[in-house]
Amino acid sequence: MLSNRVAALILLCWPAGAQTTTPAAPAPAPAAAPVAAPAYVGSETCQPCHEDIYAAFQKSPHKLVDTQKRRGWATKACESCHGPGGKHAASGDKADIVNPSHLPPAEADRDCLKCHLNQPTHIGRIQSSHAKNEVSCTACHSIHRNGPNGLVPRKMAAVNELCASCHTAVWAEFQRPYKHRLPEGAMSCVDCHNPHGSIFPASAQSYAAIEPGCFRCHGNLRGPFTFEHAPVRLEGCGACHEPHGSANPRMLARAEVRFLCLECHANLPTAPGPIKNPTALGGVPPAFHDLLSPQFQNCTVCHMKVHGSYVNQELLR
Amino acid sequence: MRLGLALFVTIPLLAQQAAQQTAPAPADASTASPTPSTEPWITGTLDFGFRFTSVGGDNDVYRSVVNLGQGPRLLGLDLTIVDPKKRLFDRLDVRANNWGGDPYNTLHLNASKRGIYDFNFDYRDIAYFSLLPSFADPLVGTGIVLDEDSYFARRRMSDFQLDLFPGHRIVPYLAYGRDSGEGTGITTFESGLNAYPVADTMFDKTDNYRGGVRLEFNRFHATLEQGGTTLRDDQQAYDSTVNYGNYTQPYFGQTLDLASLAQAYGMRGSSIYSKVLFTANPFSWMDVSGQFLYSRPETNVNYTQYDSGNLVLEQAILFYTAEQALGFATGKQPHTTGSLGFELRPLKRVRILQTWMRDRMHTSAAGLFTDMILQPVSAATTTLTPLTSLLAMNYNQEQTDVLLEVTHKLTLRGGYRYVWGDAETGNMLIAGPGQESSELRQQVGIAGINFRASQKLSFNGEFEGAASDHAYFLTSLYNYQKMRARARYQIASTLALQASFSLLNNQNPAAGSNYDFLSRQNSLSASWTPSKRVSILGEYTRSTLRSNIGYLDPAFLTPVTALYRDNAHNASALVDLVLPGYAKLTPRLAFGGSLFISSGSRPTTFYQPLVRLSLPLHKGVVWKSEYRYYGYDEAFYQYEGFRAHLLQTGLAISR
Repeated sequence: MLSNRVAALILLCWPAGAQTTTPAAPAPAPAAAPVAAPAYVGSETCQPCHEDIYAAFQKSPHKLVDTQKRRGWATKACESCHGPGGKHAASGDKADIVNPSHLPPAEADRDCLKCHLNQPTHIGRIQSSHAKNEVSCTACHSIHRNGPNGLVPRKMAAVNELCASCHTAVWAEFQRPYKHRLPEGAMSCVDCHNPHGSIFPASAQSYAAIEPGCFRCHGNLRGPFTFEHAPVRLEGCGACHEPHGSANPRMLARAEVRFLCLECHANLPTAPGPIKNPTALGGVPPAFHDLLSPQFQNCTVCHMKVHGSYVNQELLR
Repeated sequence: MRLGLALFVTIPLLAQQAAQQTAPAPADASTASPTPSTEPWITGTLDFGFRFTSVGGDNDVYRSVVNLGQGPRLLGLDLTIVDPKKRLFDRLDVRANNWGGDPYNTLHLNASKRGIYDFNFDYRDIAYFSLLPSFADPLVGTGIVLDEDSYFARRRMSDFQLDLFPGHRIVPYLAYGRDSGEGTGITTFESGLNAYPVADTMFDKTDNYRGGVRLEFNRFHATLEQGGTTLRDDQQAYDSTVNYGNYTQPYFGQTLDLASLAQAYGMRGSSIYSKVLFTANPFSWMDVSGQFLYSRPETNVNYTQYDSGNLVLEQAILFYTAEQALGFATGKQPHTTGSLGFELRPLKRVRILQTWMRDRMHTSAAGLFTDMILQPVSAATTTLTPLTSLLAMNYNQEQTDVLLEVTHKLTLRGGYRYVWGDAETGNMLIAGPGQESSELRQQVGIAGINFRASQKLSFNGEFEGAASDHAYFLTSLYNYQKMRARARYQIASTLALQASFSLLNNQNPAAGSNYDFLSRQNSLSASWTPSKRVSILGEYTRSTLRSNIGYLDPAFLTPVTALYRDNAHNASALVDLVLPGYAKLTPRLAFGGSLFISSGSRPTTFYQPLVRLSLPLHKGVVWKSEYRYYGYDEAFYQYEGFRAHLLQTGLAISR
């Protein structure tokens, strides 16, 4: 049913997309630009009053817009975002020019997406919580500022500072003793999250196409193991760890290991028969350790291969 | 690492070469480039110094939490080289931090030539040290510390990516990444009733090769990528002295011990993966995006073990003196994900977002484990155990969001998500105990509001409420409400406030479990610049977490409730003062830091105050000093507290 719907939609959309890529079809930017409108004055006109922005723009990646004809805005890069500048050039009144930072976010983003929509960075845009919450492109990207290959901070500490300016409670978690090394500048938020969105929860990054981004650095836990620990695959590392930071060693979600394990391995009766367990996974096999004995209070002392074992079903070796 | 160092050495040489090439013809350079000739071709900052440390309390815990050492350091290097003649590159950026013995070294290099190539290299070396007696030493209460479950390891990550013809319609790219780790530690060897702490060494390495092409057109884009990885993971555990383990009392009158152990894993693995991404806007009112991801990792492992001592098979109460085990296994994990999404704009103020996703993973493994036990008085006993396992998962998700722009200042969002799937785990060949399956069915209602009263005041909120029939685990999201709100107010040009609130309330009424989870975070931050010489940034976060979940005590099968509480206050502040200047130079003083105080299941305090002083000595030369204090205390494990004073002083030279 689902695949039929998807196939039908693809069939509907594809010819339209294909037609628009033929040379005869106009590119969207030039088509959107009012060709006959005399109100376009060109970037050079902006220079005398906006000298600092103009100078920085010469080294900006967006300078391409001014120089590449195929983008449809050659010599009119400023007006590609700000709209026709003729009236503003004559009056000098800021009311006579479009200022994207004063537009509603969705409208401002449309300006950026005129060129950037069809790029791999925006593959997760539709799923992105940033987009759904109308966090505009300019909330993170400084369009006029110069940058090596982008208009956003690249230093890890600067990236973290930018993210933390909104996600203050998340940044507070990094002030806990056991955490990933973000406050030290050894990692950045975008190592684990894709701010443009992804198909994974919390806009998580992926590794090797499809695997959780955690395995980019923790490759030794990637497996596949002969005996997997199901939560690692089904719920991810966050089932047991607080990746942003915790007061508990190893960034565990609970203060003591045994309680973390017992939450799933609860020894609760399961439905009749071992095959179908409508309640939850983790009910079998039951364990009969005496938890009053310190020997059994940290499960991972014996079940040390808790992320998965190559040779032992009980994850003992 | 070596490659990173080689690049690190190469940079100054490139810079020198560029200098030699550009020096004779500055006029040509200025005419050939839009870069103004007055600008230096090399700019950046070099920050180096010496750090003094003084640690009181538990040094092992200090290393587990902070791990900054004493000595000379390259604290930071930030270099940009712009070649006016644009020969090898237009621009080269190098950033390096914390070299010279710190537990995290980073290096990043970016070289680009507009329209020709864009090259990125990233290197990180992070040391992980963990030795916490309270975490995994069962005998610590008796005063015996065996350092169990401790390690000192380094992980090194290198990533190279080369994009060709960036900005063109067709952009091929190649990338290579390596992630490796090595270290030593104390692990445990479990044998029968006892677990023996033994030394172990670890080494693992993953190489990741990938290449692809991006096709970027006005109305559509597609990325095609093919990659592969190779993995190697070797671990050895060994012991050559008599070891009594964690079980210290006699067992049927005999003392258990491990006299020797040689245990080794050799894992080799590989994977191939493919990625297809596309976006398109076939009509002005419609955007489409989709992706297809496939990977198939597989591993092969060889395992050997020889141990001797006075050991026991607990189930049979059979004492033996030596054991030899051999195992091999192979595992495969084909994994496929597909997703498709649309954004439709049927009306000017209405947007409809629709996404589907399907994820399928099937892990299967098979092998054989041979175990030979030597007893003091009878013949050797050999057992053969087939190793087979299965973990299969199907996950599906469908979501619809409708965004309505009521006015330019107000956007409302409503939506619905349906998540369903199933999972099966257990023995691949034999049905019975150990085999389980479960389902996932969850219906989620979504609502959101974005209100921008003015440029100075905005409010954003979202809510998710879910009802589930099934979930994979007792602790999974089941019947939950998730809420998040954030408000920003620019009171004056010098003062801005932001407040945020988030909540997750999750309940699973499964009989015997009655899982009840509530997490709440309130946060307030302020940025105040009372004068040109003073700026103050402050944040306060209050977070609470409550978890109650029932289980049957394993020994007596009596119902018990596990309680977890975490009530935390976190505050951080930074006051930045511009001090009176001298000789056109401006010194700065900054002070602040963060504190974390929690109560509940693991009451902890962690203070990190700091003071920074920057004294310019000359144009482009600043003497920087920083004092930082780390104070860590745990109410339940007071012997693990530490107090550390760090003083760092050095020069920052910038151009």
